Amino acid sequence: MKKFIAIQAYLWAIACFLIIPVTFISNDSLASQLAKLPFMKIHPRYSGGEINRSYLSGGLQVTVNKPVYWSRIASGSSGFVQVAFSAIDSLPVTIHENIDFDFDDKTDFNVLIDTKTGTTLLKQQNLKVRSVDVSSRVKNNWIIRVNIEE
Amino acid sequence: MKKNTVYATEGSVWKSLLLTFPMVLLILLFISGGKPDLTSTDKAFAFLFTFVFLVFLFFQILYTGKTDKYRAIGFIALSLFFALTFIVNLVRARGSMTFSEETLLACEIPFCHIVTTMIIIPAVLTNSIIFPGSIIGGFASIASMLVIVVGVSLALGRGFCSWGCFYGGWDDATSRIMRKPKIKKINPVFRWMSFAVLLIIAITAAISLNPVYCDWLCPFKTVTEFEKVTSFTVLMKTVVFLSLFIGLVIILPVLTGKRIQCATFCPMGALLSFTNKINAFDVRISKDQCSNCEKCTNTCPTLSLNTPDLEAGKPSITCMKCGKCIDACSKSAIHYHIRGTPPDRNFSWARNLFLFPSFMLLVIFLGGPMQTGIMLLFKLIKTGSLL
Repeated sequence: MKKFIAIQAYLWAIACFLIIPVTFISNDSLASQLAKLPFMKIHPRYSGGEINRSYLSGGLQVTVNKPVYWSRIASGSSGFVQVAFSAIDSLPVTIHENIDFDFDDKTDFNVLIDTKTGTTLLKQQNLKVRSVDVSSRVKNNWIIRVNIEE
Repeated sequence: MKKNTVYATEGSVWKSLLLTFPMVLLILLFISGGKPDLTSTDKAFAFLFTFVFLVFLFFQILYTGKTDKYRAIGFIALSLFFALTFIVNLVRARGSMTFSEETLLACEIPFCHIVTTMIIIPAVLTNSIIFPGSIIGGFASIASMLVIVVGVSLALGRGFCSWGCFYGGWDDATSRIMRKPKIKKINPVFRWMSFAVLLIIAITAAISLNPVYCDWLCPFKTVTEFEKVTSFTVLMKTVVFLSLFIGLVIILPVLTGKRIQCATFCPMGALLSFTNKINAFDVRISKDQCSNCEKCTNTCPTLSLNTPDLEAGKPSITCMKCGKCIDACSKSAIHYHIRGTPPDRNFSWARNLFLFPSFMLLVIFLGGPMQTGIMLLFKLIKTGSLL
Protein backbone atom coordinates (compact mmCIF):
# COMPACT_ATOMS: atom_id res chain seq x y z
CA MET A 1 0.00 0.00 0.00
CA LYS A 2 2.83 2.37 0.95
CA LYS A 3 4.51 1.64 -2.37
CA PHE A 4 1.28 2.33 -4.25
CA ILE A 5 0.88 5.68 -2.48
CA ALA A 6 4.52 6.53 -3.18
CA ILE A 7 4.09 5.78 -6.91
CA GLN A 8 1.02 8.00 -6.99
CA ALA A 9 2.96 10.71 -5.17
CA TYR A 10 5.78 10.60 -7.72
CA LEU A 11 3.26 10.70 -10.56
CA TRP A 12 1.62 13.76 -9.01
CA ALA A 13 5.06 15.38 -8.65
CA ILE A 14 5.77 14.72 -12.34
CA ALA A 15 2.33 16.13 -13.19
CA CYS A 16 3.24 19.27 -11.23
CA PHE A 17 6.34 19.56 -13.41
CA LEU A 18 4.14 19.42 -16.51
CA ILE A 19 1.49 21.81 -15.18
CA ILE A 20 3.85 24.82 -15.28
CA PRO A 21 4.69 24.72 -19.04
CA VAL A 22 1.10 23.74 -19.91
CA THR A 23 -0.23 26.71 -17.90
CA PHE A 24 1.87 29.16 -19.85
CA ILE A 25 2.02 27.57 -23.31
CA SER A 26 -1.74 26.97 -23.36
CA ASN A 27 -2.58 30.16 -21.50
CA ASP A 28 -4.50 31.75 -24.39
CA SER A 29 -6.75 28.77 -25.03
CA LEU A 30 -7.28 28.01 -21.33
CA ALA A 31 -8.06 31.68 -20.66
CA SER A 32 -10.61 31.82 -23.49
CA GLN A 33 -12.30 28.70 -22.11
CA LEU A 34 -12.35 30.25 -18.62
CA ALA A 35 -13.72 33.52 -20.02
CA LYS A 36 -16.81 31.64 -21.22
CA LEU A 37 -17.88 30.80 -17.66
CA PRO A 38 -20.98 32.71 -16.49
CA PHE A 39 -19.25 34.61 -13.69
CA MET A 40 -16.51 35.88 -15.99
CA LYS A 41 -17.94 39.31 -16.64
CA ILE A 42 -17.07 42.65 -15.10
CA HIS A 43 -19.43 43.86 -12.37
CA PRO A 44 -21.63 46.71 -13.68
CA ARG A 45 -20.16 48.98 -11.01
CA TYR A 46 -16.94 48.90 -13.05
CA SER A 47 -18.22 48.25 -16.58
CA GLY A 48 -20.94 50.89 -16.30
CA GLY A 49 -23.82 48.48 -16.84
CA GLU A 50 -25.60 47.15 -19.87
CA ILE A 51 -26.54 49.41 -22.74
CA ASN A 52 -30.17 50.46 -22.54
CA ARG A 53 -30.44 52.48 -25.70
CA SER A 54 -28.32 54.37 -28.15
CA TYR A 55 -29.31 57.27 -30.43
CA LEU A 56 -27.88 60.05 -32.56
CA SER A 57 -28.13 63.58 -31.25
CA GLY A 58 -26.49 66.61 -32.84
CA GLY A 59 -23.75 64.58 -34.51
CA LEU A 60 -23.02 62.60 -31.35
CA GLN A 61 -23.90 59.00 -30.61
CA VAL A 62 -25.48 59.02 -27.16
CA THR A 63 -25.50 55.70 -25.30
CA VAL A 64 -27.55 55.46 -22.12
CA ASN A 65 -26.86 52.43 -19.94
CA LYS A 66 -29.21 50.70 -17.54
CA PRO A 67 -29.03 52.16 -14.03
CA VAL A 68 -26.60 50.30 -11.79
CA TYR A 69 -27.52 49.86 -8.16
CA TRP A 70 -25.33 48.26 -5.56
CA SER A 71 -25.02 48.45 -1.85
CA ARG A 72 -23.65 45.89 0.57
CA ILE A 73 -23.85 42.38 -0.85
CA ALA A 74 -27.17 42.61 -2.60
CA SER A 75 -28.70 45.42 -4.63
CA GLY A 76 -29.26 48.57 -2.71
CA SER A 77 -30.87 51.92 -2.92
CA SER A 78 -28.19 54.07 -4.52
CA GLY A 79 -26.29 53.73 -7.71
CA PHE A 80 -25.49 55.51 -10.97
CA VAL A 81 -26.48 55.74 -14.57
CA GLN A 82 -23.75 55.89 -17.21
CA VAL A 83 -24.08 57.90 -20.39
CA ALA A 84 -21.48 57.87 -23.17
CA PHE A 85 -21.12 60.46 -25.90
CA SER A 86 -19.21 59.24 -28.93
CA ALA A 87 -17.97 61.23 -31.87
CA ILE A 88 -16.82 59.85 -35.18
CA ASP A 89 -14.05 62.43 -35.59
CA SER A 90 -13.42 64.50 -32.50
CA LEU A 91 -15.53 65.51 -29.55
CA PRO A 92 -17.10 68.98 -29.68
CA VAL A 93 -15.92 71.61 -27.20
CA THR A 94 -19.27 71.50 -25.42
CA ILE A 95 -21.80 68.70 -25.06
CA HIS A 96 -25.30 69.71 -24.06
CA GLU A 97 -27.83 66.93 -23.76
CA ASN A 98 -31.12 66.07 -22.09
CA ILE A 99 -31.14 62.51 -20.78
CA ASP A 100 -34.15 60.34 -20.11
CA PHE A 101 -32.81 57.19 -18.49
CA ASP A 102 -36.10 55.70 -17.28
CA PHE A 103 -37.97 56.01 -20.63
CA ASP A 104 -40.93 57.98 -19.33
CA ASP A 105 -40.47 60.49 -22.16
CA LYS A 106 -39.48 63.13 -19.62
CA THR A 107 -35.96 64.49 -19.23
CA ASP A 108 -34.41 63.18 -16.01
CA PHE A 109 -31.35 65.39 -16.12
CA ASN A 110 -29.60 67.81 -18.34
CA VAL A 111 -25.81 67.93 -18.71
CA LEU A 112 -23.51 70.61 -20.03
CA ILE A 113 -19.95 69.37 -20.48
CA ASP A 114 -16.92 71.42 -21.40
CA THR A 115 -14.70 68.77 -22.99
CA LYS A 116 -11.62 71.01 -22.82
CA THR A 117 -11.72 71.54 -19.05
CA GLY A 118 -13.92 68.63 -18.01
CA THR A 119 -16.32 70.95 -16.22
CA THR A 120 -19.71 69.24 -16.03
CA LEU A 121 -22.90 70.99 -15.01
CA LEU A 122 -25.87 68.86 -14.02
CA LYS A 123 -29.44 70.09 -13.91
CA GLN A 124 -31.70 67.59 -12.09
CA GLN A 125 -35.24 67.24 -13.36
CA ASN A 126 -36.00 64.01 -11.55
CA LEU A 127 -35.86 63.68 -7.78
CA LYS A 128 -33.90 60.44 -8.08
CA VAL A 129 -30.97 62.24 -9.70
CA ARG A 130 -28.27 63.32 -7.22
CA SER A 131 -24.91 64.48 -8.56
CA VAL A 132 -22.18 63.87 -11.10
CA ASP A 133 -20.03 60.97 -9.97
CA VAL A 134 -17.59 60.79 -12.87
CA SER A 135 -17.11 62.83 -16.02
CA SER A 136 -14.14 61.91 -18.15
CA ARG A 137 -12.83 61.47 -21.67
CA VAL A 138 -12.32 57.83 -22.58
CA LYS A 139 -10.50 57.60 -25.92
CA ASN A 140 -12.85 59.22 -28.44
CA ASN A 141 -15.82 59.18 -26.07
CA TRP A 142 -16.95 61.24 -23.13
CA ILE A 143 -18.43 59.24 -20.29
CA ILE A 144 -20.44 60.54 -17.38
CA ARG A 145 -21.82 58.65 -14.41
CA VAL A 146 -24.62 60.38 -12.55
CA ASN A 147 -25.51 59.28 -9.03
CA ILE A 148 -29.13 58.28 -8.62
CA GLU A 149 -31.39 56.80 -5.98
CA GLU A 150 -33.73 53.91 -6.59
CA MET B 1 31.05 22.43 10.42
CA LYS B 2 31.17 21.13 6.85
CA LYS B 3 27.81 20.10 5.50
CA ASN B 4 27.50 16.47 4.41
CA THR B 5 26.98 15.79 0.71
CA VAL B 6 23.38 14.74 0.33
CA TYR B 7 22.39 15.27 -3.28
CA ALA B 8 23.67 13.25 -6.23
CA THR B 9 24.62 16.39 -8.17
CA GLU B 10 26.35 18.13 -5.25
CA GLY B 11 30.05 18.56 -6.03
CA SER B 12 29.76 16.63 -9.29
CA VAL B 13 30.25 18.75 -12.40
CA TRP B 14 29.16 16.01 -14.81
CA LYS B 15 26.00 15.06 -12.97
CA SER B 16 25.10 18.73 -12.53
CA LEU B 17 25.73 19.41 -16.23
CA LEU B 18 23.68 16.40 -17.21
CA LEU B 19 20.72 17.56 -15.15
CA THR B 20 21.18 21.17 -16.27
CA PHE B 21 20.87 20.16 -19.94
CA PRO B 22 17.04 19.69 -19.99
CA MET B 23 16.71 23.03 -18.19
CA VAL B 24 18.96 24.64 -20.84
CA LEU B 25 16.44 23.59 -23.49
CA LEU B 26 13.53 24.85 -21.40
CA ILE B 27 15.30 28.17 -20.77
CA LEU B 28 15.94 28.53 -24.52
CA LEU B 29 12.31 27.79 -25.24
CA PHE B 30 10.82 30.10 -22.63
CA ILE B 31 13.07 33.14 -22.97
CA SER B 32 12.92 33.19 -26.74
CA GLY B 33 9.46 31.78 -27.42
CA GLY B 34 11.26 29.20 -29.55
CA LYS B 35 12.62 31.90 -31.87
CA PRO B 36 15.46 34.05 -30.48
CA ASP B 37 15.43 37.63 -31.74
CA LEU B 38 19.05 38.40 -32.54
CA THR B 39 18.37 41.17 -35.05
CA SER B 40 20.42 43.77 -33.17
CA THR B 41 23.50 43.68 -30.97
CA ASP B 42 21.52 44.89 -27.95
CA LYS B 43 18.87 42.21 -28.39
CA ALA B 44 21.45 39.50 -28.94
CA PHE B 45 23.38 40.56 -25.84
CA ALA B 46 20.23 40.77 -23.70
CA PHE B 47 19.19 37.31 -24.84
CA LEU B 48 22.61 35.73 -24.33
CA PHE B 49 23.15 37.39 -20.95
CA THR B 50 19.72 36.27 -19.69
CA PHE B 51 20.33 32.76 -20.99
CA VAL B 52 23.78 32.42 -19.42
CA PHE B 53 22.56 34.00 -16.16
CA LEU B 54 19.68 31.53 -15.79
CA VAL B 55 21.75 28.50 -16.79
CA PHE B 56 24.43 29.56 -14.30
CA LEU B 57 21.89 29.86 -11.48
CA PHE B 58 20.40 26.44 -12.13
CA PHE B 59 23.78 24.77 -12.47
CA GLN B 60 24.95 26.35 -9.22
CA ILE B 61 21.82 25.18 -7.39
CA LEU B 62 22.58 21.63 -8.48
CA TYR B 63 26.35 21.74 -8.09
CA THR B 64 26.57 23.49 -4.73
CA GLY B 65 23.44 21.94 -3.20
CA LYS B 66 22.45 25.47 -2.11
CA THR B 67 18.95 26.35 -3.18
CA ASP B 68 18.07 29.67 -1.60
CA LYS B 69 21.41 31.35 -2.30
CA TYR B 70 20.99 31.18 -6.08
CA ARG B 71 17.17 31.24 -6.14
CA ALA B 72 17.25 34.58 -4.35
CA ILE B 73 19.53 36.13 -7.01
CA GLY B 74 17.05 35.24 -9.76
CA PHE B 75 14.03 36.09 -7.62
CA ILE B 76 15.32 39.55 -6.67
CA ALA B 77 16.30 40.19 -10.30
CA LEU B 78 12.72 39.28 -11.25
CA SER B 79 11.23 41.93 -8.98
CA LEU B 80 13.67 44.62 -10.09
CA PHE B 81 13.38 43.96 -13.82
CA PHE B 82 9.61 43.48 -13.60
CA ALA B 83 9.18 46.86 -11.88
CA LEU B 84 11.56 48.59 -14.33
CA THR B 85 9.86 47.27 -17.45
CA PHE B 86 6.34 47.68 -16.06
CA ILE B 87 6.94 51.31 -15.08
CA VAL B 88 8.65 52.20 -18.38
CA ASN B 89 5.78 50.62 -20.33
CA LEU B 90 3.26 52.59 -18.27
CA VAL B 91 5.08 55.86 -18.76
CA ARG B 92 5.29 55.20 -22.50
CA ALA B 93 1.58 54.35 -22.72
CA ARG B 94 0.08 56.80 -20.23
CA GLY B 95 2.78 59.36 -19.61
CA SER B 96 3.13 58.50 -15.93
CA MET B 97 2.89 55.73 -13.31
CA THR B 98 -0.56 56.92 -12.37
CA PHE B 99 -3.88 55.78 -13.72
CA SER B 100 -6.83 58.09 -14.10
CA GLU B 101 -10.61 57.94 -14.22
CA GLU B 102 -10.21 57.22 -17.93
CA THR B 103 -8.25 54.02 -17.27
CA LEU B 104 -10.81 52.89 -14.69
CA LEU B 105 -13.79 53.65 -16.94
CA ALA B 106 -12.17 51.84 -19.85
CA CYS B 107 -11.56 48.81 -17.56
CA GLU B 108 -7.89 48.73 -18.49
CA ILE B 109 -6.24 48.10 -15.11
CA PRO B 110 -3.87 45.10 -15.30
CA PHE B 111 -5.05 42.23 -13.09
CA CYS B 112 -2.51 41.06 -10.54
CA HIS B 113 -2.61 37.71 -8.75
CA ILE B 114 -3.32 39.31 -5.33
CA VAL B 115 -6.75 40.47 -6.57
CA THR B 116 -7.80 36.80 -6.69
CA THR B 117 -8.28 36.90 -2.92
CA MET B 118 -10.96 39.57 -3.25
CA ILE B 119 -12.96 38.38 -6.24
CA ILE B 120 -13.93 34.88 -5.10
CA ILE B 121 -16.81 35.68 -2.69
CA PRO B 122 -18.24 38.49 -4.86
CA ALA B 123 -18.05 36.18 -7.91
CA VAL B 124 -20.21 33.66 -6.05
CA LEU B 125 -22.63 36.31 -4.79
CA THR B 126 -22.94 38.57 -7.83
CA ASN B 127 -21.85 36.24 -10.64
CA SER B 128 -19.35 38.86 -11.76
CA ILE B 129 -15.80 40.08 -11.19
CA ILE B 130 -15.34 43.18 -9.07
CA PHE B 131 -12.32 44.58 -10.85
CA PRO B 132 -11.94 47.25 -13.58
CA GLY B 133 -9.83 45.06 -15.87
CA SER B 134 -10.42 43.18 -19.07
CA ILE B 135 -11.76 39.63 -18.95
CA ILE B 136 -9.67 38.54 -21.91
CA GLY B 137 -7.17 40.15 -24.23
CA GLY B 138 -4.79 42.99 -23.52
CA PHE B 139 -2.05 43.03 -20.90
CA ALA B 140 -2.62 40.89 -17.77
CA SER B 141 -6.25 40.03 -18.48
CA ILE B 142 -8.33 38.51 -15.68
CA ALA B 143 -8.84 35.11 -17.36
CA SER B 144 -5.18 34.79 -18.26
CA MET B 145 -3.98 35.63 -14.74
CA LEU B 146 -6.53 33.30 -13.12
CA VAL B 147 -5.27 30.42 -15.27
CA ILE B 148 -1.74 31.17 -14.06
CA VAL B 149 -2.85 31.39 -10.41
CA VAL B 150 -4.64 28.03 -10.61
CA GLY B 151 -1.80 26.31 -12.50
CA VAL B 152 0.95 27.59 -10.25
CA SER B 153 -1.05 26.86 -7.07
CA LEU B 154 -1.50 23.26 -8.19
CA ALA B 155 2.13 22.84 -9.18
CA LEU B 156 3.96 24.65 -6.40
CA GLY B 157 1.48 25.72 -3.73
CA ARG B 158 2.94 28.62 -1.78
CA GLY B 159 6.23 27.97 -3.54
CA PHE B 160 4.95 30.66 -5.93
CA CYS B 161 5.80 33.25 -3.25
CA SER B 162 9.50 32.39 -3.48
CA TRP B 163 9.89 31.40 -7.11
CA GLY B 164 7.44 33.40 -9.19
CA CYS B 165 5.89 36.34 -7.36
CA PHE B 166 7.17 39.52 -8.99
CA TYR B 167 6.66 41.45 -5.75
CA GLY B 168 8.23 39.05 -3.26
CA GLY B 169 11.77 39.81 -4.40
CA TRP B 170 11.51 43.29 -2.89
CA ASP B 171 11.35 42.22 0.73
CA ASP B 172 13.47 39.15 -0.01
CA ALA B 173 16.15 41.68 -1.04
CA THR B 174 15.69 44.10 1.85
CA SER B 175 15.60 41.25 4.39
CA ARG B 176 19.16 40.35 3.31
CA ILE B 177 20.64 43.82 3.70
CA MET B 178 21.86 43.38 7.30
CA ARG B 179 23.88 40.29 8.09
CA LYS B 180 22.72 40.35 11.72
CA PRO B 181 19.16 41.54 12.23
CA LYS B 182 18.48 44.17 14.88
CA ILE B 183 15.20 42.56 15.91
CA LYS B 184 15.90 38.90 16.54
CA LYS B 185 12.85 37.57 18.34
CA ILE B 186 9.53 37.76 16.58
CA ASN B 187 6.53 35.97 18.00
CA PRO B 188 5.68 33.19 15.50
CA VAL B 189 2.01 34.00 16.01
CA PHE B 190 2.56 36.81 13.49
CA ARG B 191 2.71 34.20 10.72
CA TRP B 192 -1.06 33.88 11.04
CA MET B 193 -1.59 37.60 10.55
CA SER B 194 -1.79 37.25 6.77
CA PHE B 195 -4.78 34.91 7.29
CA ALA B 196 -6.48 37.65 9.29
CA VAL B 197 -5.71 40.11 6.49
CA LEU B 198 -7.14 37.62 3.97
CA LEU B 199 -10.32 37.16 6.00
CA ILE B 200 -10.84 40.87 6.54
CA ILE B 201 -10.22 41.92 2.95
CA ALA B 202 -12.29 39.04 1.53
CA ILE B 203 -15.26 40.03 3.70
CA THR B 204 -14.78 43.75 3.12
CA ALA B 205 -14.52 43.22 -0.64
CA ALA B 206 -17.72 41.16 -0.58
CA ILE B 207 -19.57 43.83 1.39
CA SER B 208 -18.32 46.85 -0.53
CA LEU B 209 -17.89 45.14 -3.93
CA ASN B 210 -14.56 46.89 -4.08
CA PRO B 211 -11.09 45.25 -4.20
CA VAL B 212 -10.13 47.03 -0.99
CA TYR B 213 -6.58 45.71 -0.71
CA CYS B 214 -5.73 47.03 -4.20
CA ASP B 215 -7.62 50.22 -3.59
CA TRP B 216 -6.16 51.10 -0.19
CA LEU B 217 -3.45 48.79 1.09
CA CYS B 218 -1.24 47.20 -1.55
CA PRO B 219 2.30 48.45 -0.83
CA PHE B 220 3.51 47.35 -4.27
CA LYS B 221 1.57 50.13 -5.95
CA THR B 222 4.72 52.09 -5.13
CA VAL B 223 6.65 50.09 -7.73
CA THR B 224 3.88 49.52 -10.27
CA GLU B 225 0.96 51.92 -10.72
CA PHE B 226 -1.30 54.01 -8.52
CA GLU B 227 -4.25 56.32 -8.75
CA LYS B 228 -3.63 59.92 -9.77
CA VAL B 229 -4.08 62.21 -6.76
CA THR B 230 -7.16 64.24 -7.57
CA SER B 231 -8.89 64.32 -4.18
CA PHE B 232 -8.22 64.09 -0.45
CA THR B 233 -9.36 60.43 -0.42
CA VAL B 234 -6.85 59.49 -3.13
CA LEU B 235 -4.17 61.43 -1.24
CA MET B 236 -4.97 59.36 1.88
CA LYS B 237 -4.75 56.14 -0.14
CA THR B 238 -1.35 57.25 -1.45
CA VAL B 239 -0.09 57.98 2.07
CA VAL B 240 -1.33 54.56 3.25
CA PHE B 241 0.30 52.43 0.53
CA LEU B 242 3.54 54.42 0.60
CA SER B 243 3.75 54.05 4.39
CA LEU B 244 3.09 50.32 4.11
CA PHE B 245 5.80 49.97 1.46
CA ILE B 246 8.33 51.84 3.59
CA GLY B 247 7.33 49.97 6.77
CA LEU B 248 6.64 46.43 5.59
CA VAL B 249 8.87 46.13 2.53
CA ILE B 250 11.87 48.21 3.60
CA ILE B 251 12.26 49.03 7.30
CA LEU B 252 10.91 45.90 9.02
CA PRO B 253 12.59 43.38 6.67
CA VAL B 254 15.91 45.24 7.12
CA LEU B 255 15.54 45.22 10.92
CA THR B 256 14.28 41.64 11.27
CA GLY B 257 15.86 39.80 8.33
CA LYS B 258 12.38 38.43 7.56
CA ARG B 259 10.09 38.89 4.59
CA ILE B 260 7.59 40.80 6.74
CA GLN B 261 5.23 41.90 3.96
CA CYS B 262 4.99 38.37 2.52
CA ALA B 263 4.80 36.64 5.88
CA THR B 264 2.36 38.88 7.70
CA PHE B 265 0.42 41.07 5.30
CA CYS B 266 -0.02 39.41 1.90
CA PRO B 267 -3.52 37.91 1.50
CA MET B 268 -2.42 35.96 -1.58
CA GLY B 269 0.27 34.25 0.48
CA ALA B 270 -2.37 33.19 2.99
CA LEU B 271 -4.62 31.84 0.23
CA LEU B 272 -1.73 29.96 -1.35
CA SER B 273 -0.89 28.41 2.05
CA PHE B 274 -4.05 26.34 1.69
CA THR B 275 -2.87 25.08 -1.70
CA ASN B 276 0.30 23.85 0.05
CA LYS B 277 -1.96 21.07 1.33
CA ILE B 278 -2.81 19.70 -2.12
CA ASN B 279 0.57 20.35 -3.66
CA ALA B 280 3.03 17.48 -4.25
CA PHE B 281 6.00 19.14 -2.55
CA ASP B 282 6.76 20.08 1.01
CA VAL B 283 9.72 20.43 3.35
CA ARG B 284 10.54 17.85 6.01
CA ILE B 285 12.85 17.86 9.00
CA SER B 286 14.53 14.63 10.01
CA LYS B 287 14.23 14.48 13.79
CA ASP B 288 17.03 11.91 14.01
CA GLN B 289 19.53 14.23 12.38
CA CYS B 290 18.29 17.48 13.90
CA SER B 291 20.53 18.83 16.66
CA ASN B 292 18.00 21.46 17.73
CA CYS B 293 20.48 24.24 17.02
CA GLU B 294 17.50 26.31 15.81
CA LYS B 295 19.51 27.86 12.97
CA CYS B 296 16.58 27.08 10.69
CA THR B 297 13.99 28.72 12.94
CA ASN B 298 16.14 31.85 13.15
CA THR B 299 16.78 31.81 9.40
CA CYS B 300 13.26 31.13 8.10
CA PRO B 301 12.22 34.41 6.43
CA THR B 302 8.51 33.70 6.75
CA LEU B 303 8.24 32.65 10.42
CA SER B 304 7.16 29.20 9.23
CA LEU B 305 9.47 27.27 11.54
CA ASN B 306 9.57 27.26 15.31
CA THR B 307 10.42 24.68 18.00
CA PRO B 308 7.07 22.82 17.89
CA ASP B 309 7.41 22.62 14.08
CA LEU B 310 10.83 21.00 14.48
CA GLU B 311 9.26 18.46 16.81
CA ALA B 312 6.49 17.86 14.27
CA GLY B 313 9.11 17.32 11.58
CA LYS B 314 7.73 19.90 9.14
CA PRO B 315 7.23 23.65 8.84
CA SER B 316 3.78 25.22 9.07
CA ILE B 317 1.53 25.53 6.01
CA THR B 318 2.86 29.05 5.49
CA CYS B 319 6.18 27.63 4.17
CA MET B 320 7.19 29.28 0.86
CA LYS B 321 9.70 26.55 -0.07
CA CYS B 322 12.50 29.06 -0.55
CA GLY B 323 15.07 26.57 0.73
CA LYS B 324 16.74 28.98 3.18
CA CYS B 325 16.35 26.60 6.12
CA ILE B 326 17.71 23.73 3.99
CA ASP B 327 20.80 25.77 3.12
CA ALA B 328 21.27 26.81 6.75
CA CYS B 329 21.11 23.34 8.29
CA SER B 330 24.65 22.10 8.99
CA LYS B 331 23.33 18.61 9.78
CA SER B 332 21.50 18.24 6.45
CA ALA B 333 18.39 17.44 8.43
CA ILE B 334 15.99 19.48 6.26
CA HIS B 335 14.97 18.45 2.74
CA TYR B 336 12.45 18.99 0.01
CA HIS B 337 10.04 16.07 0.07
CA ILE B 338 7.27 14.60 -2.05
CA ARG B 339 4.12 14.02 -0.04
CA GLY B 340 3.20 10.38 0.25
CA THR B 341 6.79 9.17 -0.12
CA PRO B 342 9.04 8.07 2.77
CA PRO B 343 10.58 11.22 4.29
CA ASP B 344 13.97 9.68 5.05
CA ARG B 345 15.21 8.78 1.56
CA ASN B 346 15.36 9.80 -2.13
CA PHE B 347 16.35 13.35 -1.21
CA SER B 348 17.86 13.99 -4.66
CA TRP B 349 14.72 12.85 -6.46
CA ALA B 350 12.46 15.02 -4.34
CA ARG B 351 14.71 18.07 -4.67
CA ASN B 352 15.15 17.72 -8.43
CA LEU B 353 11.46 17.10 -9.04
CA PHE B 354 10.71 20.27 -7.08
CA LEU B 355 13.50 22.33 -8.65
CA PHE B 356 12.42 21.76 -12.25
CA PRO B 357 8.91 23.25 -12.07
CA SER B 358 9.89 25.95 -9.60
CA PHE B 359 12.94 27.12 -11.55
CA MET B 360 10.94 26.92 -14.77
CA LEU B 361 8.43 29.33 -13.22
CA LEU B 362 11.25 31.73 -12.39
CA VAL B 363 12.55 31.43 -15.95
CA ILE B 364 9.12 32.14 -17.44
CA PHE B 365 8.53 35.23 -15.29
CA LEU B 366 12.10 36.58 -15.38
CA GLY B 367 13.06 35.83 -19.00
CA GLY B 368 11.03 38.57 -20.70
CA PRO B 369 11.46 41.41 -18.18
CA MET B 370 15.21 40.73 -17.85
CA GLN B 371 15.85 40.94 -21.60
CA THR B 372 13.70 44.05 -21.94
CA GLY B 373 15.30 45.53 -18.82
CA ILE B 374 18.83 45.01 -20.17
CA MET B 375 17.87 46.69 -23.44
CA LEU B 376 16.37 49.60 -21.48
CA LEU B 377 19.59 49.96 -19.53
CA PHE B 378 21.53 50.03 -22.82
CA LYS B 379 19.19 52.74 -24.00
CA LEU B 380 19.74 54.69 -20.80
CA ILE B 381 23.51 54.52 -21.28
CA LYS B 382 23.32 55.52 -24.95
CA THR B 383 20.63 58.22 -24.85
CA GLY B 384 20.33 59.18 -21.19
CA SER B 385 16.66 58.20 -21.21
CA LEU B 386 14.71 55.03 -20.54
CA LEU B 387 11.77 56.13 -22.67
